[in-house]
Amino acid sequence: MTAGATTRGLPIEISGLSKHFGPVLAVDDLSFTVAPGRVTGFLGPNGSGKTTTLRMLLGLVHPSAGTATIGGRNYWDLDNPSSTVGAVLEATSFHPARRARTHLLMAARAGGHDDARADEVLELVGLTGDAKRKVGGFSMGMRQRLELATALIGDPDVLILDEPSNGLDPQGIAWLRDFMRYLAGEGRTVLVSSHLLSEMAQTIDDAVIVSFGQLKAQGTLEQITSNLTGVVMRARTPEADRLCAVLTEAHVAFRRLGHDEVAMDGVTPEQVGPLLASKQIILYELTQEGADLESVFLSLTAGLGFGDVAAHA
Amino acid sequence: MINAIRAELVKMRSMPGVWVTFGLALPLTVLVILGVLAGAGGFPGHTFYFVQTLRQRRELLGAGYFAIEILAPIAGVLCVTGEYRHKTITTTLVLTPVRTRVLAAKVSVTALWSIFIALLTLVAVAAVALPWNAALGGVTSQVTDQVGAVVPGLLLSAVLLGLFGLGFGTLVKNQVAAILLTIGGTLILEALLVALAKAIFHYNLNWLPNAAGAALAGDIARGFGGGGGRNALQLLTWWQGGLVMLLWGLVPLTLGYFTTFRRDVT
Repeated sequence: MTAGATTRGLPIEISGLSKHFGPVLAVDDLSFTVAPGRVTGFLGPNGSGKTTTLRMLLGLVHPSAGTATIGGRNYWDLDNPSSTVGAVLEATSFHPARRARTHLLMAARAGGHDDARADEVLELVGLTGDAKRKVGGFSMGMRQRLELATALIGDPDVLILDEPSNGLDPQGIAWLRDFMRYLAGEGRTVLVSSHLLSEMAQTIDDAVIVSFGQLKAQGTLEQITSNLTGVVMRARTPEADRLCAVLTEAHVAFRRLGHDEVAMDGVTPEQVGPLLASKQIILYELTQEGADLESVFLSLTAGLGFGDVAAHA
Repeated sequence: MINAIRAELVKMRSMPGVWVTFGLALPLTVLVILGVLAGAGGFPGHTFYFVQTLRQRRELLGAGYFAIEILAPIAGVLCVTGEYRHKTITTTLVLTPVRTRVLAAKVSVTALWSIFIALLTLVAVAAVALPWNAALGGVTSQVTDQVGAVVPGLLLSAVLLGLFGLGFGTLVKNQVAAILLTIGGTLILEALLVALAKAIFHYNLNWLPNAAGAALAGDIARGFGGGGGRNALQLLTWWQGGLVMLLWGLVPLTLGYFTTFRRDVT
């Protein structure tokens, strides 16, 4: 890797992408672009089509319509896929009897890379000491690191990471954050999906937010949050349960923060004040807060919590 | 393509199943050697005798066929179903996105694996059968003279039996089901069908995998699948057997590619 390089990344272009699984429309006419040199967060509730989109980009799932290209080419048409794209998809795709170094040796040979590259990436992800251990004995965090090492085997220009921080401890998450920023700083394209919004907010430059397989927002983090300033209302009430019922009835997105505290997303004081007065809800406190990534996400995804979208699909 | 084969070779050598098949090749072959030498004399009361007829000499050289007809299909099955069982298919297809290339690499590695099994059986013949036969009074050169008549067919049948396993592994995907289908199907079901076809329809059912493999191996190798049925069968010629075996490999492989291997990996 050459620090300071700025032109090595390739753009990712998703255009009119759709995918049906039988009667379920997992991805619905999705279009967005991912720019090189930036970390782009791909955000959406569970079941919103993120993983399916990434798998279509990598040729693992066949689109029902549309295209997903890297540098203008289909993944399977790339001359040397592992030198162009590295992907972290799931931390479970290892043969349990295979040693970490053997797994990487296999990956290196599949891409036509030097065997020494296996040792280099092991060192890069901090697994040199575990090189000869069988993957079956690895923790989730170690598997995640090994998956990342596999993605880096060809020193790729584009990194596609699906929930890469799953199973990582706080130190591992911080390391991953710095690592993604470092890679983007070299000019590489980094597309990362995650449900850890607070973590994403510290990492990403751009965000693509999807819900029900459809694009809800795309832009820089600043653009997205500034478009929705003032949308979070925080209420403290002894009638939190009744408040939640009223908000549900009024189709207002909300989050229960504590036994007497509720955050409402996507509403203004002018909207929520009369509503609560009409229902005679006792309030101890009603405050307006600036929008953060989490509140933007919840307002754009209609307040559906993780797992809710899948239930609606 | 070369890269995909090199990657498959690394996978192969790190799969416990490979070493199990290698480990079983020797005792299974020795078991058949025991049978050939025990039956060579043809006299009641004689336990072991050196091989005398041309057929017996070829049977001794081809003693490994029993191991091959069991282990080569298993090799083929493991080569592809292991990818689904351990979900490594995702990594495999990300590293080598052209699926026909992956499948072609698996065909190559299965062939290599099967040939290695066959070579191990020949090692067992060289290490156990020939010295033992000589000790019983047989002339070793009379047996080794038959290498040209036996070994090429044995190796070719190993490759095609491996392809047969790979084909069914690609089609079925579930490891246990694929092994049951290939091994159980050829060793038990085929023997049953051959016997039934003979008894009821007086039909010479010689185009099923085991009988076809036996024909390719020159009808000299003692196997298990035909059981009593194979001895009663009039086998195909070696080239017809080879052609039929090739179809038994290619047809399920092609069907498996279009119905299973090409499908979405979710």
